[in-house]
Amino acid sequence: MSWTVPLTDIVITEGDRRAVAECLEGGWLTMGPRTQRFEAALAEWTGAPHAVAVSSATAALHLACRALDLGPGDEVIVPALTFIATANAPRYTGARPVLCDVESPERPNLSAAAVERCLTAHTRAVIAVHFCGYPADLGPLRELCDMREIALLEDAAQAIGAEVEPGRQAGTVGALGCLSFFSRTQLCMGEGGAVLTADAELATRVRSLRSHAMTSGTWDRHTGHEVSYDVVDVGYNFRLDEPRAALGLARLPRLRGDIERRRAAVLRYREVLVSTPGLTLMWTDADVARSSHFAFAVLFESGEERRRVQEALVERGIQTTRYPVLHTFTELAPLAASGSLPAAEAAADRHLVLPLSSHRDDTVDLVAGAVRDVLGRG
Amino acid sequence: MAGTGTSPEAVPLYDLRLQPEDVRAVMEVLESGWLALGPRTDEFEAAFASHLGVGHAVAVSSCTAALHLAYLAAGVGPGDEVIVPSLTFAATAAAVIYCGATPIFADILGPHDFGLDPADVERRIAPRTRAVCAVHFAGYPAAVDRLRALCDARGLALIEDAAHAPSADLGGRKLGTWGRAGAFSFFSNKILSCGEGGLLATDDAHVAALARSLRSHGMTSGTSRRQTRETDSYDVVGLGFNYRLDEPRSALLLSRLARLEPEIERRRELTRAYRDKLAGLPHVLVPYDDAGVGRSSCYVMPIVVSDDGRRDAVRRRLRDEHGIQTSILYPAAHEFTAYRDRFGEQRLPHTERVARTEITIPLFAHLDEATQDRVVGALGEVLA
Repeated sequence: MSWTVPLTDIVITEGDRRAVAECLEGGWLTMGPRTQRFEAALAEWTGAPHAVAVSSATAALHLACRALDLGPGDEVIVPALTFIATANAPRYTGARPVLCDVESPERPNLSAAAVERCLTAHTRAVIAVHFCGYPADLGPLRELCDMREIALLEDAAQAIGAEVEPGRQAGTVGALGCLSFFSRTQLCMGEGGAVLTADAELATRVRSLRSHAMTSGTWDRHTGHEVSYDVVDVGYNFRLDEPRAALGLARLPRLRGDIERRRAAVLRYREVLVSTPGLTLMWTDADVARSSHFAFAVLFESGEERRRVQEALVERGIQTTRYPVLHTFTELAPLAASGSLPAAEAAADRHLVLPLSSHRDDTVDLVAGAVRDVLGRG
Repeated sequence: MAGTGTSPEAVPLYDLRLQPEDVRAVMEVLESGWLALGPRTDEFEAAFASHLGVGHAVAVSSCTAALHLAYLAAGVGPGDEVIVPSLTFAATAAAVIYCGATPIFADILGPHDFGLDPADVERRIAPRTRAVCAVHFAGYPAAVDRLRALCDARGLALIEDAAHAPSADLGGRKLGTWGRAGAFSFFSNKILSCGEGGLLATDDAHVAALARSLRSHGMTSGTSRRQTRETDSYDVVGLGFNYRLDEPRSALLLSRLARLEPEIERRRELTRAYRDKLAGLPHVLVPYDDAGVGRSSCYVMPIVVSDDGRRDAVRRRLRDEHGIQTSILYPAAHEFTAYRDRFGEQRLPHTERVARTEITIPLFAHLDEATQDRVVGALGEVLA
């Protein structure tokens, strides 16, 4: 079943394909020169001193938690409205995620005030999520974390290239920042992710744990630099491989343009939808200017209205999605009672993510028109 | 390895050559624009399950991930013990620790057979033992028939680390299908490789369902199924991970799987030729026997030198004087800093002897006889 307008549409160019083909023809598929070049290019592009390519953003978050030595007895504050991996990453280390409310349904990122209410003697870190690519307000969060001597991590899986502080990109403000290269993200390569950090020691730790904490890699041994290895910690196989690094390298130079095209599409959506009865735009114009636009979401008056619109759009071949609030999942239900995090719950219930791609602004008017039409018939 | 050797005539440990149809298969996926878990992965899983003669195959991001899911599916949790070999890649034991359990190292049979010793396994079974993991070293079957009987008798799960053995068998039954679950590797230096990748094989529908769920965050529906409108929301059950493979890698594996058997047959020929050439060499023991070669997938060519003080010098001279790359499979896991720190000093005599005397010499499908002669000649020279 194919959609008239899919949620997102990925175009892999001829040049992208050539880069992957050259890598495959070369026959070296594992952590090697392309991964090194991709990491260097990503560090330069984001402005992060260190970039470590990994197998997914989930892996990036897990490694970030390990790098900070989180473990049993520790608490990590995460927003209740995010992808499940944000809350699972502390759990992989034995730490406990604490679900925190967001600022408001219109700006559903962590607020320092809400975080402050979740702090306990066991809090070791806060993971700020830049939901849909819109920067969380990191200034007050950083101040709070610094004051309490806890770590601020950025889950920037949806926010590569967003400006979170003047001149600072998503993932470069916190102690560690995590990026995603999953197939729907702005810089997609299938499965993939990266950890950004300014701290050389944390970068070394992440790099080590990414590949089983071995003191030398296959490439070092292949090139004759090392003859054997020790294993100095319990690490993982969270490596990226060379074909994906090649794809990332080929796509990175176009990323800024892709983000700007996404922003233009979002601005057009907002122009058409701004005074639609029954619909509320999320975020402010200033937020839009700083976002990297992973996704475009709007709010309806209630969950029922959202469901009605979603079903009507399905009828028209328009694909949409939404993020459930984490404590509605069976697995995380014990973490918060229903009704205890009202802004996140309302945002989750009322929002709907509309189609957005880097290259298809022709569909924006069609989708926005359909939404207006459905609401007009309510 | 094209363009990466230390000199033009260097002999690499392994050398991957993909065919034009392999590259084409990946290009087609990229052109389609659907990169996340989807129809090619489904197709590869079905093809690999049928190749093994097993009910279920679940493609994952690495063999480490497959081992982790296999242990979880066997019910391994905090406080439990899993008996594993030490002469293996670190992942076999590390994945036990991911589950909160303790790896208990058992010894191998000896320098003639690097497989787990069932008698030593039996001695190490304790009240908290949950599972035993057997490694099929280089694709030569560990005694999984005996281990399976032992595990059945003691109510333990047998897990197979079949990273080296994508198509090897014991008594006509494919390795990786003898226990509760088998873990396969598609890492770049493996026989069937895609870069990073792995797979869990099982005949148990519950194990397969759990692996399938936990490889993608315990979500009750995946991106692909939401794409096809089968559902628009999901629940999350269990602590899952992102252990997914993606479509370009599945397409590459699917293309290469068609040539797996002839490639392994070629590796067997090369292994037999090595065995003949090495037979008269003093100070060298070649593990396994000619009959074993026919059942093995011949992932690598291990030899054992008689004097453990010489191994590192032999490897250095092979590299520096003859341009021949070798490896050690494996440094003993129980001697790694990470394991000594956690579990203390331990003695595994056969494992330690092999870990100090083993040399893995070059083996890959397009190796030619002249190069084999060069490798054996160089070995003769440096061992003389």
